[in-house]
Amino acid sequence: MIRKAGEQQAVESLNPSDAIDFMCAEARRQGADGFDAVAGESESMGIELFEGKVKSTEISNSRGIGIRLFKDKRPGFAFTEKMSREAIAQTVKDALSHTLLTDPVEMDLPFPETLPDIDLKSFNPELEEVSLDRMKALCLELESLARAADQRIDNIPYLGASRSSGMSMVRNSNGVAYSSRSNVVSAGVGVVALQDGNKKMGVYSNGGRSFSFDPGLMAAKAVERAVELLGAESVPSGSYPVVFSNRVSASLMSMFGSPFFADAVQKGQSRLAGKVGERIAVPMLNITDNPHIPGMPGSHLFDGEGVATSPQEVVRDGVLKTYLYNLESAHKAGVKPMGNGSRGYSGKAGTGFSNYIVDKGDRDLAALLSAFPRCLYITKLEGGSGCSAVSGEISIGAQGFWYEQGARVKPVDKITLSSNYFEMLMGIRGLSNEYSDSFSSMKVPDMLVESMHVAG
Amino acid sequence: MDKIKAERIIQAGLDRKADFVEIFEEETRNASVSFRDRKVDSATAGTDYGIGIRLVYGTEVLYCHTSNDDEGHIIKLVDNLARSRGIIVRDTSEPTVNLVGRIFENRHKITKDPREIGQDRKLDLIKLADHVARGHSDKIIQVNARAGDVVSSVLICNSEGLWAEDTRTRSRFTVNVTAEAGGEIFTASEAPGTMRGFEFFESLDISHYAKLAAERAVLMLSAGYVKGGKMPVVMGNGFGGVIFHEACGHLLETEAVRRKATPFAGKVGELIAHPSVTAIDDGTIQNAWGSQNIDDEGNPVQKTVLIKDGKLQTYMSDRVGGQETGTGITGSSRRESYQYAPVSRMRNTYIDRGSTPVGAMIGGIDNGLYAKKMGGGSVNPATGEFNFAVEEAYLIRNGKITEPVRGATLIGKGPDILPLISQVGDDLELAAGMCGASSGSVPVMVGQPTIKVDNILVGGR
Repeated sequence: MIRKAGEQQAVESLNPSDAIDFMCAEARRQGADGFDAVAGESESMGIELFEGKVKSTEISNSRGIGIRLFKDKRPGFAFTEKMSREAIAQTVKDALSHTLLTDPVEMDLPFPETLPDIDLKSFNPELEEVSLDRMKALCLELESLARAADQRIDNIPYLGASRSSGMSMVRNSNGVAYSSRSNVVSAGVGVVALQDGNKKMGVYSNGGRSFSFDPGLMAAKAVERAVELLGAESVPSGSYPVVFSNRVSASLMSMFGSPFFADAVQKGQSRLAGKVGERIAVPMLNITDNPHIPGMPGSHLFDGEGVATSPQEVVRDGVLKTYLYNLESAHKAGVKPMGNGSRGYSGKAGTGFSNYIVDKGDRDLAALLSAFPRCLYITKLEGGSGCSAVSGEISIGAQGFWYEQGARVKPVDKITLSSNYFEMLMGIRGLSNEYSDSFSSMKVPDMLVESMHVAG
Repeated sequence: MDKIKAERIIQAGLDRKADFVEIFEEETRNASVSFRDRKVDSATAGTDYGIGIRLVYGTEVLYCHTSNDDEGHIIKLVDNLARSRGIIVRDTSEPTVNLVGRIFENRHKITKDPREIGQDRKLDLIKLADHVARGHSDKIIQVNARAGDVVSSVLICNSEGLWAEDTRTRSRFTVNVTAEAGGEIFTASEAPGTMRGFEFFESLDISHYAKLAAERAVLMLSAGYVKGGKMPVVMGNGFGGVIFHEACGHLLETEAVRRKATPFAGKVGELIAHPSVTAIDDGTIQNAWGSQNIDDEGNPVQKTVLIKDGKLQTYMSDRVGGQETGTGITGSSRRESYQYAPVSRMRNTYIDRGSTPVGAMIGGIDNGLYAKKMGGGSVNPATGEFNFAVEEAYLIRNGKITEPVRGATLIGKGPDILPLISQVGDDLELAAGMCGASSGSVPVMVGQPTIKVDNILVGGR
């Protein structure tokens, strides 16, 4: 790619639609038995500010295309971000050469079907008009509101806004040809509060499909989250009831998604193997994978392998109802693929939740915090390296508050929580009636767990 | 991109009143083969290609990137960036910058270019890992092994006349082993990597790494839990260096200093660590995973002494961060790819060799933890609060290493922990990892000899 001075280049770069058509034609011409191709393109612009000035501005445009093809049932993969005919033909050739290395895989590519007639509201054309100036004005307002909110705000190191839009396409040798697009705007502020030499950070960020952020609310929440933790101290080591705020309950549950994937079950990497139809959690827990909720970021009508999606009850009344499948794991299990294949142009196919929904309970947060005479209310989790989806082990740093008789006593930090995910599911004692307001593909209410080991 | 085109793009930025204009063009070839469930389950290769343009006004950075190398398209992006600052210029003048190729010493010789060696040569390697790991115990139920290489060709040119090209070739072998007993499952992995070509795989003792991972997965099945709380911890060499990486390294990047988001801002020359600690970030180590010839702004990489006998010497800088914080060039500007503007990042970071024998460290502890193998971690630079995980640990009782205990999270604050590293061993070793931050995920090494931390909070039961 690096050419010397004077060397000419006149290579036409195809748009993603023409590129994927050309790639499919090449795969046929070069003799693939079957194939699927995915292409993606994304555009974004964003801005970051620091101390009243623009610190950085970014405008980006990226695209790529990838193929999985089969020869005598052997898969081969390749991808490229160079969208010339020459590069695409070479990519197909590379993928074909890889079929000489792999072992055969039994799976069937899907045929075209009528996708559900649902407007997922994934794309709002008005967002394409949101300018950097508008983002800058929002950030400036956020910054001044946050500084004015509390004298203890010492620094605002993170402040920014962005918008992005993306398009994805999937085609296969059976005639499947789907495409979709989506866009999003987001904004956030991270503030540091200082008191007696101690610093605490509070972050509020959110996104959505309308540029209707409330800077007053955003700044107030970020400041509150920093200031309320000032003066935090540890608690003595022991076992305590823990309420996970809906600000962190989704991120805790997100670390343990893969045990529900058939692929992990079939490969011996899930402790849920053999548990379909069995109770794996308390009866109040219901987990649904729902790709059809309008406006949610994980919604889509077809998956990364060109399979039409459908909602799935994964856990109902504490009983495991199903695993999630992609094409390969569905074939192996002898079930109909359900549209949980995930794949970008540069990777092989995996499995994923679309929107992960834990049903709300019927009590409010205050009721959970007063369910036991004393408890920890956790609003911040630190890292996740001590958590393993395979073993279920949970060991994680945390911050939050100590509650007695439902009343907040003091802020808490310098503690770690320890448990095992599969035991924790049996120890859930309450789910609140409220989700956080974040624009996220996971909805999990505040969650009360009867007992976790705390080191302090 | 040819020089004439590069000069025209740079001129488009200068015409729009930028103080500094830089082009980063990259073409990266990734190739890997992986083995799972006793099968070669994937063979893949791909090309990442794109161009990133940076305009700097004072210390304000404007960045755009694209996979489309059409000159008109790129100049349009430059124009859009400038317009975001209210600068509108319609005419483009003749280039005033004359790009001159700069020659760098290639410290990291590659003898076998992966692009010229078929992926079929990797099959025996991944199969060997599976064979050795499964042979260790009948409790091993799954082995994933992957051999991958990346060859990245970059061109960096800028409005100061720099034209620099570099090729970075890296290879990495990963083995992940799963063991099961009594309904419990544990995994353990090893992932050595270097800045070498296929010769790395040829000289790698794959059986050694496969066995290490298998042993750890099986060992953890029978391990108990440590009783959580504050205690002295002896941290093993090699990947143990993740403690310095998280607790201190990120806090010494000018990207954190310029945001005033580090407790070490304004502390150069001060004692911030125990006097037994000397810490270095070295991008020059021959063929090391985190090394380069030049950084991603085109500066030759350096060996940077960060802390000498406990005293802070300097930060790691990038162009803009160095300018804002008054830090000289350290060759530390890095980015994952053309999709990221570069910022100051670590390369190969380690606590330097000390003189305390490991036996003496352990012997001095009545009740503590020997953290033999560390996992990943993270830090919030603004508060200094860090965490990282221990994957394999043993209790220390009455000066002796005793039974194994399961992994746990260790947490603390950087400025509190550094003075507590009171003993440094003589068995320095480095290990490969990936580091994620605002300019993406970059290969780094972490390292240290065995060290003793007098007191740290260990998560447990």
